Amino acid sequence: MKNKIRKFCILLSIFIICQFTSGCYDSREIDELAYPIAIGFDKGEGKFLRMSLQIAVPTKVAGGGEGGGGGEGGQSSVSITTLETPTIYSGLNMINTYVSKQINLSHVKAIVFSEELAREGIEKYINALMRGREFRGTAYVLVAKGSGNTAEKFIREVKPELESNPAKYYEMVLNAYGYTGFTAEAKLISFYRNMTSYTTQPVAVLANVSEFEDSDDITLEYSTYKQKGRDYPLPGDYTAGNMPKVGNIKTEVMGMAVFDGARMVGELDGEETSYYLMVEGKYGYSYVTIPDPQAKDMFVLLNLKQSRKPKKRVEMVGDKPQIYIDIKLEADILSIQSGINYESIEKIGILEKATEEFVKTGIERMVKRTVEEFGSDTFGIGESIKKKFLTWDQWVAFNWKEKYRHSNINVNVDVKIRRPGQKIKTVPAHGSEKEEK
Amino acid sequence: MADFKNILKYLFLYHEPDIQEEFILKEKESEKAGKEKTSERRKEISEDKQKTDNKSKTSKESHESKLISKNLTDNIEYLKKVYSIPTNGDIVLREFEIVAKDKTIPACIIFYDGMTDRTIIDLAILQPLMLLSNLEVKDKGKELLEYISKHLLVHNQIQITQNMGKVIEDINYGGCGVFIDGIDAAFACDVKGWEHRGVDKPETESVVRGPQEGFTETLRTNTALVRKILKDEELVVEDVSVGKRSKTPCSILYIKDIVNDSLVEEVRRRLKGIKVDYIFDTGDLEQYLEDNPFMTTPQIIATERPDRVANALTEGKVAVVMSGSPFALVMPTTNIDLLQSAEDTYLRFPYVNLIRIVRMVAIFVSLLLPGLYVAITNFHHEMIPTDLLLAIEASREKVPFPSVVEILIMEFAFELIVEAGIRRPGQLGPTLGIIGALILGQAAVAANIVSPILIIIVAVTGIGSFSIPNFGLGLSFRLLRFIFIFLASVAGFLGISLGLFMYGIWSCSVKSFGVPFMAPTGPKTYSNFLEQFVRSPIWKKEKRPDYLNVKKVHKQAKISRQWSQDNKKKDKQQKYEIQK
Repeated sequence: MKNKIRKFCILLSIFIICQFTSGCYDSREIDELAYPIAIGFDKGEGKFLRMSLQIAVPTKVAGGGEGGGGGEGGQSSVSITTLETPTIYSGLNMINTYVSKQINLSHVKAIVFSEELAREGIEKYINALMRGREFRGTAYVLVAKGSGNTAEKFIREVKPELESNPAKYYEMVLNAYGYTGFTAEAKLISFYRNMTSYTTQPVAVLANVSEFEDSDDITLEYSTYKQKGRDYPLPGDYTAGNMPKVGNIKTEVMGMAVFDGARMVGELDGEETSYYLMVEGKYGYSYVTIPDPQAKDMFVLLNLKQSRKPKKRVEMVGDKPQIYIDIKLEADILSIQSGINYESIEKIGILEKATEEFVKTGIERMVKRTVEEFGSDTFGIGESIKKKFLTWDQWVAFNWKEKYRHSNINVNVDVKIRRPGQKIKTVPAHGSEKEEK
Repeated sequence: MADFKNILKYLFLYHEPDIQEEFILKEKESEKAGKEKTSERRKEISEDKQKTDNKSKTSKESHESKLISKNLTDNIEYLKKVYSIPTNGDIVLREFEIVAKDKTIPACIIFYDGMTDRTIIDLAILQPLMLLSNLEVKDKGKELLEYISKHLLVHNQIQITQNMGKVIEDINYGGCGVFIDGIDAAFACDVKGWEHRGVDKPETESVVRGPQEGFTETLRTNTALVRKILKDEELVVEDVSVGKRSKTPCSILYIKDIVNDSLVEEVRRRLKGIKVDYIFDTGDLEQYLEDNPFMTTPQIIATERPDRVANALTEGKVAVVMSGSPFALVMPTTNIDLLQSAEDTYLRFPYVNLIRIVRMVAIFVSLLLPGLYVAITNFHHEMIPTDLLLAIEASREKVPFPSVVEILIMEFAFELIVEAGIRRPGQLGPTLGIIGALILGQAAVAANIVSPILIIIVAVTGIGSFSIPNFGLGLSFRLLRFIFIFLASVAGFLGISLGLFMYGIWSCSVKSFGVPFMAPTGPKTYSNFLEQFVRSPIWKKEKRPDYLNVKKVHKQAKISRQWSQDNKKKDKQQKYEIQK
């Protein structure tokens, strides 16, 4: 009996001692920590980094302990701080000398790099972020356009109107690509994976502060429509910052930055980004405006969806890769401005054909840019030829990245219009002919 | 030093565990071997008993072997000594005279006032003996003993015994003893008639559908309630008395041609092997019978419902009913039995499945929710959505305590309300609930002692623990909850998973009357795995539980809805005829 008690005591004491050696000291109360929701990196003075943290102020976000609600009256729900630091983690230490709560990066939603920094190369920062255990891979990587401290500017301008919680703003606006198609799914984890890949190259979401203060300032000169050979801009012909809009929400995300390794080499506008998503297979659905094939200066509005995964194939003809991209889309008609009866079985083919042609030229143009202008395989097309090599060394020696610059592109788009919406026919407005004219 | 080495060896080296299982439920083929073993043990026990009896031969034991004297005055002397007459107030010893065979014979009757039915004693025992003994009876050649028992004592249950101990036992249990001068035997008449509660609604296990009868404190009423449901001559109600002094009557209930004999033998052995002076309730009995007293989970089901007992008996289980307790014990019990309520079989199976899922969630919540909250708020901040995180942070902003202390305060307050509510029944109960729940909860938040999110957690946990069907299991989870809070505060999810792991190992190692507690999932036996969590239609349950090793495995035909099959045949025939 005594022996039994003794054994029990020994076991109990071992158990208690175990607790002192274990991670009990890791324990931190939630209210002892500060949670940045966005983190910005600019090029600081000299070699240093300039880091901006957007820290959520929970009592402002959640309305405080007394259930006061949102009526805190104009006070910002975030606290923004910027400082010069040689590295990311030493910067956090420095911040903790004046921010009272310990910084915890586990809820960072957006990592913003300035364009200057991105063009220089962000490999060391991405590696540092991935090594730290607090960062989550689902944070989005953004590039703030322009020169100077654009990341800081962007973060300072994030003042969401619809949410009290800016974290939710980031989540919502960056996930909206599923129904707009204008930004890329550029998460930290995939950025890192693609950065180290021999084929796929990383991308980031383009972000900027709106350039127009007043609606009189709005111009279309920054739009990319002229380069595409159009007479007028379509909805996607912009990048972040130059969208013709004014309003209280100053920040914009549109288009994407294309990287070669960890260096930014170019940018795609909104429309090209949606083609990028189609080729990637991540295109959800969005409203697409297509010039009417039979009426000039009129539009047909389609709700375009990707029904099947895209098929990508590479064949080597001599030294030149032949890239085949096969895309299947479905569409619902939202509006036919000209009133031409495209819903009928006889005419639906015309619209389908026009849509196919429209999307096909867009995709071809976009892929050509990545081939010739950026030389960066952003879609991971090289993955499909990798399997033809026996050993890794052969594959590395093949040097796909160099080969990609010389590839030919063949795009095949198949569009099926499934539903005409709530109408089966456009009924024209009946007025006297004078008024019509 | 060597000692320390041994301890280390003991802790870290593998060693064969001692054979701890005292009883294993045998398969039918090997029953014989099991029987031999148990009978050996019984012998040992009886030897033990004799030894102890020899050691301490008290007066209590002595009158068991005492024979009844022919002389009435001797008997009266003895009875007076035994029952401490006249100090003892409620014992009645009445002396009277019988006129039988033209002789006047002194006699006496002894019984406890209040435990016996007075009218029966007056009309069926005293009246015939005192008055009707004068009547002329044709056959006068009989012995006095035979004459009295066959002609004079018109009561229906009478035992003639020469053993004083037997008479005393009967008197103690509401009978009366009749002693007659000149006869070395006594009549023990069963005239029980104490005040008792009638058959009432079962309060702790109320159902919407199903019978609304509950057990009462009377043994025979309880056994009759079960027999009334089963109406089977194979149902055996075997009487055993427990308690060296109290000799509380208990009954072992089982269906002879279904139950595994070794199980009955084991229950009998355990009941007879209880060495205790008095026993009051099946709650006490359960603690003397169960395999693992230190396990938090109950290993025997206590139920108020005769239909539930009957159902368990038909499965091949054994029930023990005890005089003075409105709860019957059903054994063996497995983990799954504790999660089922009496209503589960009465309701149609789609509804039951919904209820079962709700119950599973309730169990999970009542056991782990506070622990998970502590783990998340202390260790795993990245696990919750940012909005919730900020809401928790904002609500905790003005709370001065760490979250563990906060949750312990509220859990303690909750336990307080529960305990006070049980001990203050009737009108005060709801009032207490209102004071406790509303005012305490509201005020604690307003005073910034706890955060509002925590009130939700404690409330959900409390409701969850009340929706566990078995009262004992609910209590067990209320206790374990604190352990999980502690583990979570020490090591977060690691601690919780460690706790669950250890609890799982413990449950798997436990046996209830030879049946592994986690059967049929712990050791996998023949059963539909899903059947343990969701219920299939009633006509699909064709077999009795495999782990009980019953004599008859099937409890219904392969096609129990035979009529549906008949219809099909008819249809076919009709079609065939039409074709013709």
